[in-house]
Amino acid sequence: MKNVSYIAYFFFMLPTLMANTIHVGTQYPVKSIRQAITLSKDGDTLMVHKGLYREGNIVINKKIVFLGKGYPILDAQKKGEVLSVKADSVVVQGFRIINSGFAALDDPCGIKVYNRTFARIYNNRLDNNFFGIYLQNCTNSIVKGNTIVSHGTQEQLIGNGIHCWKSDNLQIIGNTVSGHRDGIYFEFVTNSVIWRNISTENIRYGLHFMFSNDDSYITNLFKNNGAGVAVMFSKSVKMFNNTFEENWGDSAYGLLLKEIADGYIFNNKFIKNTTGIYMEGTSRIKVEKNDFVSNGWGMKIQASCMENEIVNNNYLKNTFDISTNGSLVLNTFNSNYWDKYEGYDLDKNGVGDVPYHPLSLFAVLTEKNASTMLLYRSFMITLLDKSEKVLPSITPDNFVDKTPLMKSLPL
Amino acid sequence: MKKSALLLLVSIVLASCVSGEPKPLQLNSDACDFCKMTIANGQYGAELVTQKGRYYKFDDVACMIHFATSNTVVPYKAFFVCDYLMDNALIPAEKCYFLKGGSINSPMHGNAIAFTSKKEAQDYQAKYNAVLLSWKELYSSY
Repeated sequence: MKNVSYIAYFFFMLPTLMANTIHVGTQYPVKSIRQAITLSKDGDTLMVHKGLYREGNIVINKKIVFLGKGYPILDAQKKGEVLSVKADSVVVQGFRIINSGFAALDDPCGIKVYNRTFARIYNNRLDNNFFGIYLQNCTNSIVKGNTIVSHGTQEQLIGNGIHCWKSDNLQIIGNTVSGHRDGIYFEFVTNSVIWRNISTENIRYGLHFMFSNDDSYITNLFKNNGAGVAVMFSKSVKMFNNTFEENWGDSAYGLLLKEIADGYIFNNKFIKNTTGIYMEGTSRIKVEKNDFVSNGWGMKIQASCMENEIVNNNYLKNTFDISTNGSLVLNTFNSNYWDKYEGYDLDKNGVGDVPYHPLSLFAVLTEKNASTMLLYRSFMITLLDKSEKVLPSITPDNFVDKTPLMKSLPL
Repeated sequence: MKKSALLLLVSIVLASCVSGEPKPLQLNSDACDFCKMTIANGQYGAELVTQKGRYYKFDDVACMIHFATSNTVVPYKAFFVCDYLMDNALIPAEKCYFLKGGSINSPMHGNAIAFTSKKEAQDYQAKYNAVLLSWKELYSSY
């Protein structure tokens, strides 16, 4: 008898436990998103149908699923933030979010999540916002499949595409970002992954790490950004299978490493950058199986770097493979392929019989005096370079690959 | 007569080399001379001029102070900082009022901002929960 009453109670309570779906649209009773949010309870689904919604700042303060059908447009008309998420476990999916305000002081965003867990931001299209998606103090959240576009100019102040601050356990997957200050920005973010994103034509960096430890970024494309990618003041950052391409300019680098330690750079491609990798204050980094192709400088390793291992990389068609600013060498080079290597391999074991000094005399000269670049490819310089290769005098003689490969690695 | 005129001319030309005027920061194109980051925000930037007239640019006041204190060889002529309330306007650092700490968030976490007038600084002090400092105090605080 007792059981029956339990079952009866369960059936009686069922409708109240069941989540509702509230439809929003011109042909539905609920016309406005704000009204729908007021009507909703935790666990409900809001289905917003195609149309233009100009409701200013929309605040989600309940645990709801917020779905757009046919990409409804949320337009903030250049005033403040578009969508603010202030509840846990909110899903935002399928919206076109446009025209946030542009202000220097309060950083308005397309979508901002405030101090929450389990936020899900899926498949939205953001256009012309100051910041794109901003995760502030969030954990266990996913930003996936969003397209974020803005139209920043060189002189103008603009925010970042995906900005993550003081967060943990984030997944940033398959987003496309362009025209922002930094495509993806991590500050005090730990244990997070950035996977399969495309970050192009951003004004400053395609990806920017500051004070973020134990993160990975894998299989991303960074192309044509103002200054490439920067990983600074971070520990244990893993960088796999990424492509760094066409980052040209005086202070532009494919990858800028500054004050970082214990990272692993594996199987990346550095193509057509002013400098492939620039390292300063970098220690215990392993650079393995990367392609450096057609860069001005393959790698610039400043004398402040130590205990880095550079192993099994291909250096192809770079103007300079390696450059440094001092005579101190605390890094090791082993078994790389250098297309400028002119040694021989008599025992045919695939490894050159004479060591290779990747640092050319001219690279050292241009580092000290940039205007000597004028003399590049002149007869005298070629002659000096050759003699320096045989008898190193200006270049540090311990800057050497003792086992240079005869054939490039198939990467 | 001719000689003195020439001397005058030469001295004028030479004098104009080191004007002591700040050079504007080119946002998103100039890199910080201390941390190598591209300067993207004209509210936190700073600039330093040496006695010989060489300019160094910074994205954060802290970068400038770290840069200045790390070097004891080259004498400096002037320090400039960006006014927080104006976009990318450099003003002499000694004349500024600084706010440091609180909820201020600058590119390299020096977390200091500059104001031309004390009143403006005090207005923002409560808002950011920051400490009001003079240039000298700020300089020795890093």
